Amino acid sequence: MIVLKQKIKKFGECCRDSSWQVRLSAVFMGGGQICYGRPAKGILLLFAEISILTYFITRGWRDIQGFFTLGTQKGDAWLGIEGDNSVVMLLMGIFAWIVIGVFIALYRLNLKDVYHMQKRKEQGKQLLTFREEAAQLLDKKFYVTVLVLPVIGVCIFNILPIVFMILIAFTNYGGDIVPPELVDWVGFDNFKKLATLSQFAPTFFKILGWNLVWAFISTVLNYFAGLGLALLLDKKCVKGKAFWRAFPILAYAIPGFITLMAFKFMFSYGGPINQMIVANGGTAIGFLDLDAKWTARLIGFLVNCWISVPSIMLLATGYLSNRDVTLYEAARIDGASRWKQFQKITMPFMLFSTTPVLLGQFTGNFNNFGIFYFLRGGLYLDGYFLASDTDLLINWLYNLSIDNNYYCIGAAISLIIFMITSVISLMVYIKSPSYREEDTFQ
Amino acid sequence: MRKKWKLGHTIDTGVTYIILIAVAIIFFFPCLWLILASFSKSGTIYSFDGFFPTEYSLASFKKLFTDTTLYNYPKWFLNTLFVATGSCILGTFLVILTAYTMSRFEFKARKPMMKTTMVLGMFPSFMGMTAVYLLMTQFNLINHLWGLILIYAAGAPMGYLTQKGFFDTIPKAIDEAARIDGATNFQIFTKINLPLSKPIIVYTALTSITWPWSDFILPKLLLKEKDLYTVAVGLMSLDETEFARFAAGSVFIAVPIVVLYFFLVKDMVNGMAQGAVKG
Amino acid sequence: MVVRMKRRKIALAMAMMLCVGQLAGCGDAADTSGGTESSAGQTSTASSVFTGELEENVTIQVLENDTAISKGYFEELINAFNETYAEYGITAVDANMDQYLDLANDGPYGYGPDVLYQANDIIMQYATGKHIYPLPVEKLECYDSIPEAAWNAYKTEVDGTTYYCGVPVNVQAPMLYYRTDLLPEDWKTTWDDNGNQIPDMIENWNDMYAFSVERHGEDSSKYGYMKSLYDVYFSSGFLFSYGGYVFGSDNTDPSDVGFSKGEAEKGAWVLQQLAGVMNEECIDDTITTNAYSKLADGTYFATISTPDVYSTFLDELVAQYESEGMSAIESEEKAKENLVMTTLPQLPVSGDLTEENPELVDSKAMGGVNGYAISAYTKYPNACLAFIDFATSYDMMVTRSEMLGVAPAREDAAETAGGTSELLYESLENGNISLMPSIQEVSQIWTPGQTFFTDLAKDAFRDESERKYKDLASLKAGLEEVDQQIYDAIFTLK
Repeated sequence: MIVLKQKIKKFGECCRDSSWQVRLSAVFMGGGQICYGRPAKGILLLFAEISILTYFITRGWRDIQGFFTLGTQKGDAWLGIEGDNSVVMLLMGIFAWIVIGVFIALYRLNLKDVYHMQKRKEQGKQLLTFREEAAQLLDKKFYVTVLVLPVIGVCIFNILPIVFMILIAFTNYGGDIVPPELVDWVGFDNFKKLATLSQFAPTFFKILGWNLVWAFISTVLNYFAGLGLALLLDKKCVKGKAFWRAFPILAYAIPGFITLMAFKFMFSYGGPINQMIVANGGTAIGFLDLDAKWTARLIGFLVNCWISVPSIMLLATGYLSNRDVTLYEAARIDGASRWKQFQKITMPFMLFSTTPVLLGQFTGNFNNFGIFYFLRGGLYLDGYFLASDTDLLINWLYNLSIDNNYYCIGAAISLIIFMITSVISLMVYIKSPSYREEDTFQ
Repeated sequence: MRKKWKLGHTIDTGVTYIILIAVAIIFFFPCLWLILASFSKSGTIYSFDGFFPTEYSLASFKKLFTDTTLYNYPKWFLNTLFVATGSCILGTFLVILTAYTMSRFEFKARKPMMKTTMVLGMFPSFMGMTAVYLLMTQFNLINHLWGLILIYAAGAPMGYLTQKGFFDTIPKAIDEAARIDGATNFQIFTKINLPLSKPIIVYTALTSITWPWSDFILPKLLLKEKDLYTVAVGLMSLDETEFARFAAGSVFIAVPIVVLYFFLVKDMVNGMAQGAVKG
Repeated sequence: MVVRMKRRKIALAMAMMLCVGQLAGCGDAADTSGGTESSAGQTSTASSVFTGELEENVTIQVLENDTAISKGYFEELINAFNETYAEYGITAVDANMDQYLDLANDGPYGYGPDVLYQANDIIMQYATGKHIYPLPVEKLECYDSIPEAAWNAYKTEVDGTTYYCGVPVNVQAPMLYYRTDLLPEDWKTTWDDNGNQIPDMIENWNDMYAFSVERHGEDSSKYGYMKSLYDVYFSSGFLFSYGGYVFGSDNTDPSDVGFSKGEAEKGAWVLQQLAGVMNEECIDDTITTNAYSKLADGTYFATISTPDVYSTFLDELVAQYESEGMSAIESEEKAKENLVMTTLPQLPVSGDLTEENPELVDSKAMGGVNGYAISAYTKYPNACLAFIDFATSYDMMVTRSEMLGVAPAREDAAETAGGTSELLYESLENGNISLMPSIQEVSQIWTPGQTFFTDLAKDAFRDESERKYKDLASLKAGLEEVDQQIYDAIFTLK
């Protein structure tokens, strides 16, 4: 609160002692900068203002309106009426909000900049030339230059869709209400519906439990198998490392969904494994059929391991070559055994540098849609509400929302799942050494 | 004493090789099965004798490349190559830069950004696909391979954590030494850190090239014309009786990745060892 | 339509990514909006865009199914059409898109075809979302030659006005495929009790069952009738034969799910008995995919599939004969002679396949009518209509049926095509083919149905003590569970 008050106070002071150039910039972005003799920068800012304003006049304004109304005219191709497409309007509405956000940020930057110029002038210092400022972007402010593109990309292709989906949770989009029908805002109705649904909670917790077990075990399994393999290949006694490494790479080179389909076939009743069992006088085993809860889960773990290990191995190999060799020499001189070296040097180093990998693996496995979709899709089992005992939350979400067309409900559920999982992973991440002590190994 | 050590060493080597052979078999066997299936003469998996086809021929591969009226595999292959290369170059560039920045610079938005990306990764991605599709229709990028590259590349920086972990292990002392010599941050990055990070660049390049290689969701969403399909989408569209062709197509798309690996493997392992500074 | 399941998978995968404009299946909503505009649209049963004036010098994109393209029929069709309409400058081209594309998702943004060929349930779902145009069907040359039952598959009523949104091309229903050369040599004396020159196992399921037992008994590597149970499209027919149905009120009321209705449990029992003479491969989709080659190599005697895959079965058999050393021409001839596609055998009223001299009823089956429709997003509706008119002409329909082995929807073409096609008509007309529901809720029936049929198949291979379905009552309970699951899937979240 106090901080805020101070800020307001400071802002007031700034307003009062601002020069006419600053005020000019408040109206025409970059105007002040031009008057201070920095035309290039001023023109850039002015150009930005003009283009954003043009966008708002030509379509942005309508997009913002559309964001609230979500369309007023229903389309009917048979009568030749071209109607509003609610979802596109929602999306473009979000886009317009983002543009407003960018504009405000630019505006603030513009004022700060011109105020800064005024202060420098008042103190009798030389203003930085445009060239000098540009040079800063490669040095002091290198990070700004570098992050512009990734941030824009992530905003448009990752954040925008997520915001879109979150907002969908508050509409009635889905079922019968899809374009050309008009979608409406419904507030928290979808969440209320879920809360009152008696079948929802038991299945949710059952699947959440299995999902956590799955994510945890497969992460640990994949990680240590990959790391172990990398360490094994790193041993001095192994000749022809490139050759040995090529086998996992081959597995890696075949697209995952093909591998999954191939494994599904192998474990099917007509697959080679059962053929051999039958040929040797046994009876066929339903590795993945509807009674096979734990065999199916086990196969899931192993197949997932088969798919994930090669990339972890590759990565770990890269890290291993980055170890500080002097540490090992010192350890050897001190007479430490190889096991001790591994325990005291290799392991902490690897754990530290690969925590992000572990986390990435965890999130990846938590949301691993493909594995059970391909291996054992299309079953609804007793005791589960529209799900099977190998389905993960994401598969269930798929069954409920996409397969059954209830996008708004799906969005609401994914929002709930999202909140739970992100809190968990955020807590783990913030506690992890690679977040807290980033420079341990520097 | 020395003898005992030697014996232990031999046993250790022996065990290591046994494990390596086992690993090689585990990874190679399913691939081998797919490879042999693609050379099967009958063209159906159900005529196999256990794991292996009874007769072999090159017919599936011949068909794959010559019979292109319905399934234009060569075209799909080139499309995939284009998309994968494009998004590999762009994506790797962006990821490495992002990761480097996040590892080396202190700025206000850094920790929030790290947390945000972490959380965003937990969102079930297919729920956002609707929006991606709509966006692409608005940008008029449906049926354009470039659109695909754009999305792959734009999404790549989200996975910067792995690369950041790598940069965290390169000692900062080097940077400071260079800074004293008057190098700018840009120079420090290009002249010092970049050469040291070869392994991670290779790793990033490999992973970002394999993703478009095996993804079928996004291309299926954005490419409507059959001639623009990538191999993954094309293979999914094959009729179920076309198993041999499916196997041949799956085997053949693995070739460039394997070749690439053999080209890059040296850079990957020796990156740091070749670096000028140790410790 | 063996590919149906696969198609559904792919459709799911697609739906997964695009929840954009999934089929708007909302009759009531269309009604309310139509109410205000009925004065504008009144008497005409087709969209007013069909002025009859051909758009000249245009290219229309036609989406055909893959078989028609790979067998060369489609090329023949567009070549003939382009030649005829060269004077108007109308050119039809292959849309070159996925045969199962979703018009509701692609059309609004300008990425769909102009003319599309799909199954009636798909086309009619587009109709409820008004993604396709109602057609002036009575103006088409084929109008009188196509039976009403086929037209009905494309009929929809909005505001009391009847619209037809598609033109039937061929009828799809499960057919029995078998090989005459695998019949016992003396079948005329041992397997033709009524002496009508048709083997008994082709006429009724009881004899098919008995023959399957006998064939497997003689050589344990060989089987009689084989078909994966889990495929709802084929298995549900057994339930329908005993009074089951998908949705009530002629497949329009999703609140009334009818898989367990009537004596449907007897149908489930029949399936269970049939599973008993197969092997474990009937539990998953193995038989569905390997039937082509296994029928060719003589492991299976008979299976069920749709007419559009006749050519695939035939090709496999030809290849098999060739590998046995016959010449190309000889094997082709022999394969055509030996591979028979016919309507389904009759079922015993009691549901007991071991009963001697049972009272029989006709088998019912889930079927469909595939046809052409015009996208509401086309710029050249009249040229599209001309194309459909051309493609459904007698000549083209006959060529289609000859090249693809499908059963034409035109009566005259069906007569020319011969036996099977005519049999299919009879089935369609006397109600033995129940058409796939055209409402979007139909997408909810697959997984629950599939789970039950898988369980049923598995049950035949469980130990006696672990069996779930020991009597008709337990089968009924199982089917009721299916109904409940489908109902839940549709309504819980509504």
